[in-house]
Parts: sequence; C-alpha cells; structure tokens
Amino acid sequence: MNEPAKYESGKQIPVSDTTSPQGEVTETPRLLFNPPIDIYETENGLVLYADLPGVSTENLELEVQDNRLALFGKVPSEDQSHGTLHREYEIGDFLRSFILSDDVDHERISARLTNGVLRVELPKNQKTEPRRISINVE
Amino acid sequence: MPVFRWGQSWNPIRDLEREVDRLLHGMQLTLQTRSARQFPPVNLHEEPDRYVITAEVPGVELADLDLTAANGILTLKGVRNAPEEATDHSFRRQERFQGPWLRKLQLPDRILEDEMTADYSLGVLRVYLPKDTEESVRRIPVSDGATD
Repeated sequence: MNEPAKYESGKQIPVSDTTSPQGEVTETPRLLFNPPIDIYETENGLVLYADLPGVSTENLELEVQDNRLALFGKVPSEDQSHGTLHREYEIGDFLRSFILSDDVDHERISARLTNGVLRVELPKNQKTEPRRISINVE
Repeated sequence: MPVFRWGQSWNPIRDLEREVDRLLHGMQLTLQTRSARQFPPVNLHEEPDRYVITAEVPGVELADLDLTAANGILTLKGVRNAPEEATDHSFRRQERFQGPWLRKLQLPDRILEDEMTADYSLGVLRVYLPKDTEESVRRIPVSDGATD
C-alpha cells in the first residue's frame, strides 16, 4: 500500500499505470471521495459505519498505524464507452481516516463489509485491575 | 443531449439545481456533499441495445429493495435501517442517510418494459432496460366525418 492516507479528499490523483501499447501514457484522473460515516458508542466501545458502494473486500484496505485508522476503497472504473444520459454520482475511490482515542484496543479491531457498507468495531481496552504497589519501608 | 426529460419537467428548481451542479462539477465542489444529496443518487447510461440505470444504495438489504414499473415510470423503493444497537443519543457522528426512500424515474420511450431486469451487488443496483428495436408503424384509419 502506498500510503493513500496522504491524499486529501476530493482531490484528483492521476493514475499512470495505464500505458497504451504505443508507449503513450493515457492518464485517467481518478476521483477520491470522503465517504459518509456513522459512529456510535456501545457498551464495549465504538462502532463505525461507512458507505462504500462498489467496493469489494479485495479492493478495501483498512489500516491502523499509531493511533490513526485509515480506510481506502477502490472502485473499478466503469466502461466509459457508452453514453451517459443522466448523472447524479461519479465513480471514484473512497478515502477517510480517523484518529483513535487511546482507550481503543487496536489488537481487537474487527471489520465487515456488507452490501457496500463497512462496519468497524473498535472495542475499548479491557479494564485492568488496579495494581497495588507495595512500598518498602527502609 | 438527453433524449427524454428526466423526472418532472415542470420542476424548474430541479432544472436549476442540475444546471448549477453541472457548472460546479468542473470545480469539484459538489463532491464534498455526497452525503447531503437525494438518496439514492442515480445514473443513466445508454448502450447500443439497452439503457442501464445504476443507483448507489449501500446498506440496503436485497429483501428491502422494491422495483416496480407502471405507465412509463420506474419506482425504486426501499429502506435503509439504522444500525440495530444504536440509539439516538449514542451517535457521535451521523452522516449516513437512514430510513425509507423512494425514487420515481421516467423510463425512456421505446423500451421493452416486460423484459427489464435488475441486479444488486456491493450496494449498487443496476436496472437493465432493453430497447425496443421493432419498427412499430401503426396505420390509423381515417373515417369520413361528412357522410352519415
């Protein structure tokens, strides 16, 4: 993964891997969207939902680095050869990142993608018993 | 140029919105408002032998999708449920559309309404509208109104 988290949302990133046989590079600008999300609290932690229509599990990258959770969903380009008569949405990739609070247990983060919606569970760290520190009297 | 009017032609606000959208499109300003639009957003493409309507309906269960066609109008209907264990006050952020939705779309002329098909995958609904390529010339008899 080449750090998509660096890209700003709504920005076009040129994809340069579409080299035609003649050697000329046809750059197709790809659109990048900030997907709408829901975040809510449960007893066990936080749950995050993100709308990623057109993203399959193979094309979804979810990454936690330090305290940053980044999601990047790639949507295969459409065949542009046919005529568009009406357009209300554009095809593009999805990128969004979040800062996790310290009480999220990074090891137990789990995710599921169903019908183009990503659900990420961010469990809280399990409460540890207070540890008594014995004080030696000299 | 569109071959047919999409939606209600007597809605000048919609037309204005679309025109403004078109103008803003070049500047990519509309892209930030993905969550604030009519749900679901719909595209229409034309292929040589059919039209394809696509709609982004992520999170809608297949069982909750309802498509009907009557009198040249295609109705897409469904519901997008809120996450089951969430309560109103537990949301820290809520940007996703939820609740019932409905879109009525005017079908193109000369399609085979009986042979329409649809599929749904990864939150994207596709409706295929095969074109009617039969030449339908109908002769209209003219009666002579003067004779009795």
